Amino acid sequence: MGSLLRIVNGRVYDPANGIDGEVRDVCIRDGRIVADVPPEARRIDARGMVVMPGGIDIHCHIAGTKVNLARKVQPEDHRHDVHLRTRFTRSGTGGSVPSTFATGYRYAALGYTTAMEAAVTPLGARSTLEELNDTPVLDKGFFVLMGNNVLLFKLLQEGRMEEFRHVLAWWLSVTRAYAPKLVNPGGDEAWKGHRNANITELDARIEPFDLTPRQVIAAFIEAANALGLPHPVHIHCNNLGHSGNFETTLETMRIAEGRRAHITHIQFHSYGSVAGKSRDNPTSRARDIAEFVNTHPNISADVGAVMFGRSTSMTADAPLAYMLRRFGGHKWVNADTEMESGCGIVPFTYQDRIYTNALQWAIGLELFLRSEDPWRMVFSTDHPNGGTFMTYPALIRLLMDKEYRKEQMAHVNQDALDHSGLRECMDREYSLYEIAIITRAGPARLLGLANKGHLGVGADADVTVYEDAADKEAMFAAPRYLVKDGNLVIEDHEFRVDHVGRLLHVEPEFDSSIAQVIEPFFEDYYSIRFANYPVHERYLHQHELVPMARP
Amino acid sequence: MSDNIRTVPDATCTFCGCVCDDIVLTVDMDSHSITKSQNACVLGKAWFKEHGIEERPRALIGGREASTEEGVEEAAQILANARFPIIYGLSDTTCEAQRVAVAIADMIGGNVDTTTSVCHGPSGIAFQSAGESTASLGEIRNRADLVIFWGGNPAEAHPRLFTRYAVTPKGMYVPNGRKDRTIVLVDVRRTPSTPVADIFLQVKPGSDFEVLWALRALVKGRRIDASIEQRTGVSLAVLQDLVARMKSCRFGVLLFGMGLTMTRGRHFNSGALLALATDLNEFTHFVAAPVRGHGNVTGADNVMSWQTGFPFGVNLSRGYPRFNPGEFTTVDLLSRGEVDAALIIASDPASNFPKPAIEHLKRIPVISLDPKATITGALSRVAFTTATYGINVAGTAYRMDNVPLTLRPAFDSPYPSDEEVLTAIRSRVRELLGGNRLPVGPLPAGKAT
Amino acid sequence: MSLEFTQHTVPTVPIEAETLSVSSLDGLTAAAAAKLTVVHGNRAAEVGDFFDVAGAPDGEVHISGDLSRVKHVGADMSSGRLVVHGPAGMHLGTRMTGGEIVVEGDASDWVGSEMAGGRIIIRGNAGHLVGSAMRGERVGMRGGEILVFGSAGNEVGAGMRRGLVAVGGDIGDFTGVNMLAGTLVVLGRMGARAGAGMRRGTIVAMHPAELLPTFTYAATYRPVFLRLYLAHLRALGLPISDAHMAGPYRRWCGDAIELNRGEVLLLDTAAGPST
Repeated sequence: MGSLLRIVNGRVYDPANGIDGEVRDVCIRDGRIVADVPPEARRIDARGMVVMPGGIDIHCHIAGTKVNLARKVQPEDHRHDVHLRTRFTRSGTGGSVPSTFATGYRYAALGYTTAMEAAVTPLGARSTLEELNDTPVLDKGFFVLMGNNVLLFKLLQEGRMEEFRHVLAWWLSVTRAYAPKLVNPGGDEAWKGHRNANITELDARIEPFDLTPRQVIAAFIEAANALGLPHPVHIHCNNLGHSGNFETTLETMRIAEGRRAHITHIQFHSYGSVAGKSRDNPTSRARDIAEFVNTHPNISADVGAVMFGRSTSMTADAPLAYMLRRFGGHKWVNADTEMESGCGIVPFTYQDRIYTNALQWAIGLELFLRSEDPWRMVFSTDHPNGGTFMTYPALIRLLMDKEYRKEQMAHVNQDALDHSGLRECMDREYSLYEIAIITRAGPARLLGLANKGHLGVGADADVTVYEDAADKEAMFAAPRYLVKDGNLVIEDHEFRVDHVGRLLHVEPEFDSSIAQVIEPFFEDYYSIRFANYPVHERYLHQHELVPMARP
Repeated sequence: MSDNIRTVPDATCTFCGCVCDDIVLTVDMDSHSITKSQNACVLGKAWFKEHGIEERPRALIGGREASTEEGVEEAAQILANARFPIIYGLSDTTCEAQRVAVAIADMIGGNVDTTTSVCHGPSGIAFQSAGESTASLGEIRNRADLVIFWGGNPAEAHPRLFTRYAVTPKGMYVPNGRKDRTIVLVDVRRTPSTPVADIFLQVKPGSDFEVLWALRALVKGRRIDASIEQRTGVSLAVLQDLVARMKSCRFGVLLFGMGLTMTRGRHFNSGALLALATDLNEFTHFVAAPVRGHGNVTGADNVMSWQTGFPFGVNLSRGYPRFNPGEFTTVDLLSRGEVDAALIIASDPASNFPKPAIEHLKRIPVISLDPKATITGALSRVAFTTATYGINVAGTAYRMDNVPLTLRPAFDSPYPSDEEVLTAIRSRVRELLGGNRLPVGPLPAGKAT
Repeated sequence: MSLEFTQHTVPTVPIEAETLSVSSLDGLTAAAAAKLTVVHGNRAAEVGDFFDVAGAPDGEVHISGDLSRVKHVGADMSSGRLVVHGPAGMHLGTRMTGGEIVVEGDASDWVGSEMAGGRIIIRGNAGHLVGSAMRGERVGMRGGEILVFGSAGNEVGAGMRRGLVAVGGDIGDFTGVNMLAGTLVVLGRMGARAGAGMRRGTIVAMHPAELLPTFTYAATYRPVFLRLYLAHLRALGLPISDAHMAGPYRRWCGDAIELNRGEVLLLDTAAGPST
């Protein structure tokens, strides 16, 4: 579209370009930010408003087989939270696992313009792409699950590192993924092959392979680094949710040895332990985790904060879901994917009076408040695992408004607060500049998206305009304007036009002869044909190939 | 046979939910026929053989031959004017077409339902109550050492379920194939599938629920009285033996069919089986999976679920999706004479629905899309001839275990695809209505966006 | 005199009339009531398009006609008395919290689903899923009373948490399935698989019934609480006989697959119980 826009009089927050609340114009032409536009351009008067790049969700679960199973299994989750159609937008349902149209519209209605689906099996990639194509407005991409991939395990245990790298690149390319994802590396073999066991030590053997999770993680970090991927290996560490797991997290981060690695929903991996009546109770080790991330510039993380209320646990960490079933659930879904992964789903409600839930809530806040580098400790709730994306405005308020935080702390289980370090962090309040970093500029940089998360010339014209308000939750809950690719999608809080975003994906180089390594394995063990496995380009629709981080 | 032969390797058969993708088609391009379908089972072979290009009118309006465009106009008028329409079928077409069908339902504010509601709908309902532990077919092939078939006759309905996925093939942890597996079959009568089993449990008709319930109780260590034999036809000793095998296997599988979903108990039968598989995970790794009938019925479930939040039996009259089997499912809507128009896609309900439903179809304007002449087509106000998915039309289909596959068509068809016809209808309805119908009525208690 | 609605037009397709509920009609004149919205398929319509409205609001509402295609009558009602003279459609009294609904005729499926209080009386037969949960929900009825003088279908009282459901005639399968608590009384014959998955709660049936293998016979006795319930039902007009009052009842505990704290009480008839 050749639309011309000039947003004037707004206070601009563009941390990537060092702009901290300066009143300046933002000019848009042909879907990009430009230096200037002619006088006939449409003017939007943003007086009294805050202008930011569009929000970027670095880790959420919004599309794919697992997400759809979670929709199917709980009609009661969405039947009361309906999303009405309009003349030109589709209807849907909400709850903790909204339908695809509702997902796109609601993210946009919070000012978001990009979201990364966090966990997709290669076998199910087509399904994710179809659902993403029915998710309006947003630009999107996904992380492909590789950490329990049997062929890669075989190559690793035989020390075939070169081939490992090519196979990984092949897998990223043919699935149209954005980055490699590890979830509880090694755990799936124990779960599927050894009567629902799990792996709890980084140096435990991944039966029947001659491999340990440590070796797997190291190999992926090395390979992703060598390939020059824009976003590094995205790691859901072993032992999620277990008391004392902070040690596993620290050890995992040490494996990186200076190379880039991203630890996701790190809140769930920040627990110490203290002896309880029948078993160990978790405590907060957020201080240790935050300190490590602060002092190791190669490591990045998203918090994965918990917010009280109804949510759904959906994860490729199948043993974890089974454990959660005891606490959450009357319903449990498990779905194994051959040669690649597992998944578990448990509807769940976080309650402020329950010790563990209140502790998790406190730890998430602690991690934000102890972070010294907001560019590397970015915003997420692991939607919907820690809370749905509809809680984002409330979470922002908790970070920006210490009085409000204090009020909320009075409601939660106090014993949990005693076992956290949250009270020590009470002075800090996030500024709008810092919020713009953790929800926009930071995720863009970590994802390697050079044209997103900022408002400099050449950036994608994804712009959010919020009305400034003392109540930050109200402010961030309802942008006045949303521009996507230069289109004014939301004006005066209303949708004006429907829009479909782009799929962001990577194609790291690999030697095409690597097919000779992969194909025989397929023929022997997969239940579909090798020729039918790679995702055809017809599923890409509008898309953008993101280049490698290095030439 | 002509010289103009084409080979299509790795083609996908969409006759049943196995959606086998290793078919090698030999296609006579001149006569538009598939002369060979290597690897296909007898059902697949028939499917490929029967779908050539027939000389048929592109559309029929009130029995009169018409063009597709004329048909689109007539269909769009019917749908734009309807007050309480139903869009039904969907299972034997591509996901791309299914998405347009749901979009039309949203635009006109109607009901949309798939053949799931007459097939494994009860399993969908059971899933919503009990959850499910399941696995892809490749997992079963590679790991399962105990496979239990319940209420189905795969030898006749899903032959390659035995040969490609669950009984005979070798797997990574099942290197000797059949020899490494114990096969159990549970049914009310002997069928051609029975000889495949190591253990056959013949249960009294209408007692599957009691058998499953007794198994659940035994798994949980509860006592079951020996009178179970008189009730169900299966002795306590046999049940105890089965429980012991289930608990001690390495990777157990329960595959179930219409014998459970379509007999007394319906979704509770499916639910009991799903709960049994879930319960067994206290002891070992156990999964269950419904054996789906039509080629892309799983795709229909998926498209409906991601677009509306619900898998079948959806109503969009008031401006948002609502789900209620029994209220918004097609057999019920038709049998009660409630709908005032119907759009039937790749399905022939007039050939197998209950009589009151068929009588009502005769009273309302019906639009149908099908490659073949059907009974539903014969009573339709507008009947479109469309190309066959998988044979002429590319697109996406989902196997019974949710694995998505891309179809490899064999030859082109002069007829449009379902997707093309539905897209044209949608465009015209959009013109007639000026966009989607706006929401009506008070919002549900609890708010909305 | 009360507000009176007399049907003049039977809807061609079902209408959804949650506005036909005493709480919604509270204080409205007949003219205003006629202007209330009902949903007629994908279009809005008015009550007056289907009913003549007369009278004045006094906390009681009468609706006459064939309402088998009129859904959601009495939804969310919290007070007052609503009488339907004729058959009633689906979702009658759904989510009710108070007041009383009487149907002089048959009712359809989902009578009183997710009810929390109040009373519904069906003089004729009811359909399936009386006093039940909606699909996927664990909890159904949370309180209130439903009396069906005729027969009822399957899944009556599914997921019941509290309240009382009584059926004068025969009942279908899966009575009280997944019950959490509450009381269900059946004077006629019970279908198969009653009490499947029940955790707590009481099902009382006056005829022999074959129970699931996970139910165990416990004792034969004359429970005092039951006489109170039956006396209450008798006062409401259900044909409770002296034999019902006298008992004794054979008590079966179940469902052993769940908590095993539920009970099925079967009247100990001279012919003896089965199973």
